[in-house]
Amino acid sequence: MLAALRSGDTVATARLSHLSYWYPGSAHAALDDVSLVLEGMTLVAGRSGGGKSSLLRVLNGLVPHFHGGRIAGHAEVEGLDVIGTPTRSLASTVGFVFQDPELQAVYDTVEREVAFGLENIGIATLAMASRVDDALAEAGAQHLVGRRIRSLSGGERQRVALAAVLAMQPRLVVLDEPTSQLDPEGASLVLTSASRLRKAGRTLVISEHRLEQLVRSADRVVSVERGRVQAHAPSDWRTAVVAVNVPRTSAPGPEAWSLNGVTAGFSGQPVLEGVTLGGNAGEILALTGPNGGGKTTLLRTISGALPPLVGAVERRPGRVAYLPQNPAALLHRPTVRSEVELTLSRAEDAAESPDLILDALGLREVAGRYPRDLSSGERQRAALAAVLPGRPSLVLLDEPTRGMDAAAREALIRLVARLRDAGSSVVLATHDVHLRQALGDRVVRVCGGKVGEL
Amino acid sequence: MNAKAAAAWSASCLVIVLVTSNPAYKCAVLAAAFTTLAATAGLGRMHRLLVGVALIAGFDVLLNFVSAHLGQTVLFAVPDSIPGVGGPYTVEALAFGASSGITIPAAILAAAPFSLLLQPHDVMDALPPVLARTGTTIAASMNLVPAVVASFTEVSEAQRMRGWRPRGPRSWAEVVVPVVLTSVESSIQLAESMEARGFGLPARTHFRGANLGPTSLLVIVASLAAAAGFAISQALGWAEAWYPYPSLMWPAVDLRALTGCSLLFVPAILWRRRG
Repeated sequence: MLAALRSGDTVATARLSHLSYWYPGSAHAALDDVSLVLEGMTLVAGRSGGGKSSLLRVLNGLVPHFHGGRIAGHAEVEGLDVIGTPTRSLASTVGFVFQDPELQAVYDTVEREVAFGLENIGIATLAMASRVDDALAEAGAQHLVGRRIRSLSGGERQRVALAAVLAMQPRLVVLDEPTSQLDPEGASLVLTSASRLRKAGRTLVISEHRLEQLVRSADRVVSVERGRVQAHAPSDWRTAVVAVNVPRTSAPGPEAWSLNGVTAGFSGQPVLEGVTLGGNAGEILALTGPNGGGKTTLLRTISGALPPLVGAVERRPGRVAYLPQNPAALLHRPTVRSEVELTLSRAEDAAESPDLILDALGLREVAGRYPRDLSSGERQRAALAAVLPGRPSLVLLDEPTRGMDAAAREALIRLVARLRDAGSSVVLATHDVHLRQALGDRVVRVCGGKVGEL
Repeated sequence: MNAKAAAAWSASCLVIVLVTSNPAYKCAVLAAAFTTLAATAGLGRMHRLLVGVALIAGFDVLLNFVSAHLGQTVLFAVPDSIPGVGGPYTVEALAFGASSGITIPAAILAAAPFSLLLQPHDVMDALPPVLARTGTTIAASMNLVPAVVASFTEVSEAQRMRGWRPRGPRSWAEVVVPVVLTSVESSIQLAESMEARGFGLPARTHFRGANLGPTSLLVIVASLAAAAGFAISQALGWAEAWYPYPSLMWPAVDLRALTGCSLLFVPAILWRRRG
């Protein structure tokens, strides 16, 4: 789409021209005739599975060199032909920060992790220390020097990942949904660092679903839908707002679950202490609080997966639908539809059609696909489709909107409201303010192992 | 602490404990290894390791006592008609079992600095350049191990909630398949991240070279001197072997060989405690 190309622009950091890409074995183009010029700060927006990650991976050659497949057209970064240059040779030109902060660390200490790229590109040992210090300062992570990676929060880890690419002094920095796994505080840390990089003159490309904080400092917004791109001026871009009105059709019922003086944790070490909390049928309880505060432990305790160290947990009879933080924990069937069918067969609910939930979550188009081949947002919806059918009496959802675009979040809100109205007791652990506002009958903050109703 | 110094010390401990049958020298190595670890890692961190080696050593003693019906000092006898355990049970067999039982804890404690005291990158820095990439790959995959363990817990819980129950080996596929697939995906994502940061380029350097300071040099010299001194003691017949059969005797102890072994205590003094 040449309309996105800025004519007369000769100082661009990256330039894609009529670029198309097909993943191995796919007849459908993941990127379709994309032409773009990138400089300054570019935000990449669009629905899950639309091609954002593929577009970003072209910029450092992971597509096609790492992922294989067919590619046509031309892509260059800083004058280097991306298609003809191996990804590792582009490492000092293009820095790439991935979604998941847990899966990027090679070493176990902060300085070593930041120096990993410098070791690879052969920077002299004497020059490394100062570059590591500078990169940590630029990413706002100098206070983390000496820390073990495993001791860092998600936001801190992402800052270290950012420092690790900045140390190589790349001209172009690409961030692929860097905040999707983070709490608001961690996300804010990372986005503040990104804005600071823009001010320091770096070229940035950021893929995000929540653009509110960035759009004012961006130079352009590129939307990606079904592999095609369109560039917009930031002033013309309207961030999608999740605004769903889901009025109740029935009043809450009797108590569905309760924790009485519960202390819970692992290996005798309490994560939650002295928690007394309950939820009713037809009621939605939203849990909020920082990463590591105890929300997941609370959900696992309510579900019965984690027996309490002290205290009592009670649940009314019926099926428990539990969405873990990592949707991949559930998905093992050959198709999305068969995942739904498995749950329905176990719930002995032959009357319910799988299409009901597939439609509700916008998954009809991908119902025949292998769930692990889907984008992260689609995977999340597939996991929801795998747990929610079959009229569960208790629904426990751990970060259900992770990686989801606005449309998918709206669909989820409608679906959860329907479960609530059908009498399910719902507990959501979420950082998503919109989800909390749309659905939460009560909001409980979980922090440092304590709970407090807001 | 330098990994090369740790390697030299561990190797010297292992050489002595594996070449001698004399429990006096084995005990000296065991004491050096225990003291060094206690001084650097602390008894708290050694707790599980100590329990493990005690169990292994105990099993070794028991196995020899039950299976070797040699020696003149009979404690009791089990009728020969009982297969496997029948025969006389002797003090000599118990003593030989105890002596060989020292070997395993001494060897394990001698190698323990690599797990208790050194980080993977310490070891990697000490590797020759030709092994640097292999070392990096191993260090990176070690970082994934906790994620795999967590994934197993998460998957089995999630599948139980969904109605899965273990019913024979085939039913475990519902847990094992997602765990394996998730681990493979995690590895691919890590590989992607490594590739994007230039892993595999030919000109690789080190953040901090494994330079040997005076402390490390002293440990290496002391360790090599201990191993060489002991080897010479054995060659000259000073460090005598010990064999308890047919009748038990105290092991002969030579002060020159024992002095050589005592050099293995040097790291206990020089290495600083690590948290």
